[in-house]
Amino acid sequence: MKKYILISWAILIFTSACNDDLLDTEPETSIPESIAFSTPAKILAQTNNLYKQLQNQSFYGGRFIVFNEQRADQFGQNDGNAATGSAVWNQNVASTNDFVNNVWAVGYAAINASNILISKMNETTVISKEQAKNYIAEAKFVRAFCYFSLIQTYAKPYNQDKNSLGLPLRLTPVTTSGNNDLARSSVEMVYTQILKDLDEAETDLPVSYTTPLLNTSRAKKCTAIALKTRVLLVQNNFERVIAESKKIVSPTLPFQYTEGTLTQKLETNYTAIFGGNYTGTEAVFSIPFANSTTETPSAQYSLAYNYLAQPIIFLAAAGIVSDPAFNSGTDARSALIGTSAANQKVLKKFSVTTAPFRDYVPVIRYAEILLNYAEAAAHINDLETSKALLKAVRNRADPGYVFPENEMATKEALITTIQKERDIELLGEGFRLMDLQRKVQTLPAKKGSIGTAPLVLPTSSNYIWPIPSGEISTNHLMVPNP
Amino acid sequence: MLLEKHLKLTLCFLFLLTAQLYAQQQNLKGKIVDAKDNIPLIGATVQSETEETITNEDGEFVLQNQKLPFTVKINYIGYAAQEIVIRSFDILKVKLLKDSNQLDEVLISSGYLSQKKTEFSGSVSTISAKQLQNRPSTSFDQLLGGQGTGIDVIQSTSVLNNTPVIRVRGLNTITSGLFPLIVVDGVAVFTGSLGGFVGNNPLSAINPNDIASVDVLKDASASAIYGSRAANGVMVITTKKGKKGKTRFNYNSWFSRSTPYNLPKLLNAEDYTMIKNEALVNAGKAPGFFLSKNADGSTVNTNWYDVAYEPGYSSNHNINISGANETTQYYFSLDYTNQNSFIKNNTFQNYMTRLNISHELNKFIRAGVNLSYSNAKNAGPNTGAVAGNTLSSSTYNTEYITNEPLGRMTYVLPPNVPVYNPDGSYSIQNGISVGYGANIPSIIGTINAYNLAMVQELDLTTSISKSLLGNVYAEFDIAKKVTFRTSFGLNTIGLENKLFLNPIHGGGASYNGVATNIATDLSRTDWANTISYKNSFNENHNFMILAGYERIKTTLESWGASQSNVTDTYYKNYQGSYANISPIGNDLSENALISYFTNLNYNYKNKYFLTLNYRIDGLSALSEGNKYGNFGGGSVSWNLMEESFFNGSKLKGFLNNLKLRASYGIVGNSEIGNYPAIGTYSSSTYGGAPTLGYSQTANPDLKWETSSKLDLGLNFAMLNNRISVEFDYYNNKIRDLILKTPQALSAGIPNNYINENVGGMYNTGYEIGINALAVTTGNFNWNVNLNLSTLKNKVTSLASDVFVPSVFGVQNMTRVGYSIGSVFAVPNKGVNPENGQMIFINSQGKEVQYNHIGSPKWTYLDGNAAPAIDNYKDGVIQGPSLPKLFGGFNNTFSYKNFVLAVNLTFAQGNKLYNGTRATNSDQRYFNNGEFIKNRWTTPGQITDVQKLYYGDNVSAGFSFSSTSKVEDGSFVKLKNISLGYTVPLEASFLKNTFSSVYVYLQGNNLYTFTKYRGSDPEVSINGNSINSGKDQNVPPNAQVYTLGLNIGF
Repeated sequence: MKKYILISWAILIFTSACNDDLLDTEPETSIPESIAFSTPAKILAQTNNLYKQLQNQSFYGGRFIVFNEQRADQFGQNDGNAATGSAVWNQNVASTNDFVNNVWAVGYAAINASNILISKMNETTVISKEQAKNYIAEAKFVRAFCYFSLIQTYAKPYNQDKNSLGLPLRLTPVTTSGNNDLARSSVEMVYTQILKDLDEAETDLPVSYTTPLLNTSRAKKCTAIALKTRVLLVQNNFERVIAESKKIVSPTLPFQYTEGTLTQKLETNYTAIFGGNYTGTEAVFSIPFANSTTETPSAQYSLAYNYLAQPIIFLAAAGIVSDPAFNSGTDARSALIGTSAANQKVLKKFSVTTAPFRDYVPVIRYAEILLNYAEAAAHINDLETSKALLKAVRNRADPGYVFPENEMATKEALITTIQKERDIELLGEGFRLMDLQRKVQTLPAKKGSIGTAPLVLPTSSNYIWPIPSGEISTNHLMVPNP
Repeated sequence: MLLEKHLKLTLCFLFLLTAQLYAQQQNLKGKIVDAKDNIPLIGATVQSETEETITNEDGEFVLQNQKLPFTVKINYIGYAAQEIVIRSFDILKVKLLKDSNQLDEVLISSGYLSQKKTEFSGSVSTISAKQLQNRPSTSFDQLLGGQGTGIDVIQSTSVLNNTPVIRVRGLNTITSGLFPLIVVDGVAVFTGSLGGFVGNNPLSAINPNDIASVDVLKDASASAIYGSRAANGVMVITTKKGKKGKTRFNYNSWFSRSTPYNLPKLLNAEDYTMIKNEALVNAGKAPGFFLSKNADGSTVNTNWYDVAYEPGYSSNHNINISGANETTQYYFSLDYTNQNSFIKNNTFQNYMTRLNISHELNKFIRAGVNLSYSNAKNAGPNTGAVAGNTLSSSTYNTEYITNEPLGRMTYVLPPNVPVYNPDGSYSIQNGISVGYGANIPSIIGTINAYNLAMVQELDLTTSISKSLLGNVYAEFDIAKKVTFRTSFGLNTIGLENKLFLNPIHGGGASYNGVATNIATDLSRTDWANTISYKNSFNENHNFMILAGYERIKTTLESWGASQSNVTDTYYKNYQGSYANISPIGNDLSENALISYFTNLNYNYKNKYFLTLNYRIDGLSALSEGNKYGNFGGGSVSWNLMEESFFNGSKLKGFLNNLKLRASYGIVGNSEIGNYPAIGTYSSSTYGGAPTLGYSQTANPDLKWETSSKLDLGLNFAMLNNRISVEFDYYNNKIRDLILKTPQALSAGIPNNYINENVGGMYNTGYEIGINALAVTTGNFNWNVNLNLSTLKNKVTSLASDVFVPSVFGVQNMTRVGYSIGSVFAVPNKGVNPENGQMIFINSQGKEVQYNHIGSPKWTYLDGNAAPAIDNYKDGVIQGPSLPKLFGGFNNTFSYKNFVLAVNLTFAQGNKLYNGTRATNSDQRYFNNGEFIKNRWTTPGQITDVQKLYYGDNVSAGFSFSSTSKVEDGSFVKLKNISLGYTVPLEASFLKNTFSSVYVYLQGNNLYTFTKYRGSDPEVSINGNSINSGKDQNVPPNAQVYTLGLNIGF
């Protein structure tokens, strides 16, 4: 009898154990794809995520800006370790360099995130059509911004050869395999797409958001216009630079843009741009950081660590730091130059040198718009407008300064002066390389404490970065840079 | 009268004569004991031509009415038989040697059931307790190398309790789990590395002293019962049980001393200063390196090895008590180990206990419990040798090259700077640089190396694990010959990982101090129910059927935080006060496996054997419709010795055993992550606002990765079982490999991969294991074991190359047509004798040379500008990173009370990337190897070291992989020599106290015969990974001397 009880008990266990949902597990710390766009809050979070992609430490969170400065001529390299980008500074990166792979990958991850959002918003019923259009416009801004960053890094400058190979132009979402192969579009086609996206973004973006932080950290109408002035300047399309600039720069002093509650203009106090709440009137678009290492870059990726704490790169003595503006004492910008323990000049714009490295990264400042406008105006011989804009930027930092006549006398002199002002004003913000390359100029040789980096001719293969190995090995239609 | 007298004398004589005759037929008395521990052997058979007897409880016997001279045969199960010619009736003492060749009685456990080896058709390597005992280690897996065919174990670093690389018949996957399944008393245990940069192998919770045997199931027949978990082989561990007889106490202990073995020779301060200044001058700069003076006027000449390393002393104590009566068996053990590596501050402590009890409740019901608990603490500096946490899959170490690790610091730190200031404080320049001494910072640039002494002392990684492992089971004989068994197993690990970085100097400086604590709970429950039926018909048809159901659930829960910006330098732990805190290491995941399996074993007259296995596994990780997979295998074997045509054959007297085996089956790999098939979005914040971003691409079609394994084998034993040979051919084909398939970066897919079934590869090879009792005489015995395995791995299909791009080059490449993770490098043609520049050959076949200060830097030999060398485009596969042949050669000599064991391991045919030599060739402030003195200095000079330019990190294979650093990894290692002595107790005062006393002296890693120029051809930075064979900046391996003691009561 006992035996039969046991047997039936065993059978009972067997059968009861088999009928449960042990195998139906779901992740508890991430959200399944099926419901990722199911509520207004999730969609807003998806939109915020586009900027999160830009915030990546390899991209505008810090390192991409440092790479651009390492490739240009204003900084000398202190640290010979490849992990600190010594090969970048030495103009000697290979396709297998992880920085070369990372910047490309992060840019395209943002592009795919934008493409996914655009596609989802075209069919969403969770939020209003109006709201969906806003989000699509933000996605187009991010997509354009990424393509613009990548085309300048991995393709020949537009002004050098707009018919040369540009980037694979991905405009639809990728959520499955089998999408590896895509050929490069021409440089011109990529620029056309960038401007198309920005034009469409301008139409549908809101004028402003509810808080200064949101105005600074998300794209609004004037952000798209501002970026267009940069893109068009790189194309030497001066007429359109002026046309776009006029939308957001008042014709008379003080140069500013006001719409609704939003005002964008130069900060009176230059140093205020790089501190405080980082969301003043000059910040058109910045990468913000919450005060926690969940968002902030790690040490080697942050601007403050590279420029100041370590410093991994210092201001090359022969570079713009030798300009009187940085040595006069009357120019507020000289206050952001310091001297390191090794007696090197260093940049102090980003001053939070202990982790979390939470200095906001300025991406578009009102001063840049004025200088873009000034340069375009000079090119079309509107020297008065140009001078006025230039002076506005200079005199904000050094109110008493008067430009020598010969520096503004001719169109050429004025353009040279504007470039110098850009170098001074935007030092360390990642513009110098773009300025050299849009003018198809040689990247000059430069001295660091790890040696001398050679000059790079526009015809040299290392004038631009190689297409990354991770793309070449998987995309069979990809043609590497020569 | 006289006659009478004569008669008497005659009678007397006759009597004496008879007595004499009687005296010639006497009884032989004797005693049979174990040769090793002198324990009496009860029930041994003693046989002469006329008589046969067995030994009693004290191992004694009497063989009656024997006539000199005569021969006795002594047989005892599990021991080598002995034949002794007896020439006197003195009391005979015979020592029998345990015989690993005795196939008959070796039991093979598949975890679900045990079988005699003779009835087992699969391919298995069995490692006995004897092969594991008295060998200092932190975990048993470290001891398996060279102990059986098909098992390749590599001790890739000397960090205590670091997880060794274990491979059973090569690498069987690319991105899924690489560890073999390890099953202890029926419970699949956690494997991997759990303690961050300090290692922490969960297998250290299994006390080697408690292991009765390790059965490594290599082919599909043996392992198919494990279905989807068997692709990497299965190790079935059976722990010790009590044996009938009186209670046994054993005490084992050892003390050891470890030192670094074969450190690369580096420059002293004077040579360093000379070499570095030469490089500066060559680069057009002024000399910047100068010797500095100590307070006593002597020149500073710091040997950073001495800062990092000092002899480490370790000890281990183990007690076990075991016994059994008619109904109950018990085994209880306690173990404490306290180990110190030669790496200062690298320590390992472990408290372990085990209790195994089994009990017969009545004739029908048996029940038992096997339970062990371990509390282990691993601590140490970050050495760079451990990649970080990994539960099972392939690792890629990026840590070795960062600033923090100790290994790198010993190689790069300048010898001409002091460790301490005259006031005794650490000599530091700032938060990240060691004090410059007399070197001039503005000329030499940043020394991005910390003061090793300071960070090694203050920055510690700690990993504490509390592991519970065991099962409870019950067996019911529910009918005649039908047994139902239910077993509930549990493995939980409570883990606490801590990292503290000081705020003053090192990796913590830019954070003003960081303290990170992460707590993790790992838990696995395993409930297995089987029903078995065993019967024989007509004594010819013997079979056993097993059917079972099993459910396994694994959960992982972890949480943690990182505090930074310490409010006062007083705090050195997480619980102190800090200004910032961020979450880190949060995870919550689970997976489950539900299985139904059956097994049939059949043999006909012990002549023909058949085994069939079938298992259905359902895995939660796969998507609906693909969850269940079918696995199975079968084998046949043929015991030729039982054939009648062998009877009377001459072979019969020569061969003791001859068996042919063949097996085939399909198994899978379930270590594919918890949610590989679904698409997910992950949350974070941007400027404090919530974000939701694409984090994994779905692949609803993801299905099981399967391996088909073919094995053909032959076993034979000959010369009275003195020589036994096991031979196997195997071929494992892996199809539908679940691969993290690289996607075009421009697709913008999360992490740039999608889990897909796209790859294929195979492993094939031969294995031969030979055991021989080369010499057996009364006093001297020599046992030889040779095991040898070959391996050929080839990747047959992939979507695209699998590799990791890096600013430090690509050293491993997985590419179709080649062995997985092959060593990869750009061809180097040596130094151009004309100008001292390194010449490389690019993908066009053109020679290009590199001048670090040139403009352009890369030129053809005619001086025209050349495109820079590109590691991926110009790199060429140099050879496999897996050895083509490996194994062990183990000798045991015993003479009277002495036992000498000499064990060698060897490997042949693999390539290594000697990245440490690249580090030691680097022309930044890095210290260099002595070999750098052969640098090129004058035109026409033939050398392999280029002209030195300060800052050059390209020429010597540091920034990209160069064939100048690719070397042959073949070696023969004198792994272990041990000399033991069994103290004779009979004559001593200890006689009544102890039953056996054994002492031994042992040396480990004594010498390596190799052409490899690095410190050790087994060193590897990637641990258990497809990216093997890369040696860079890893601390050397240890040489260990041990004194040990075993006492039996």
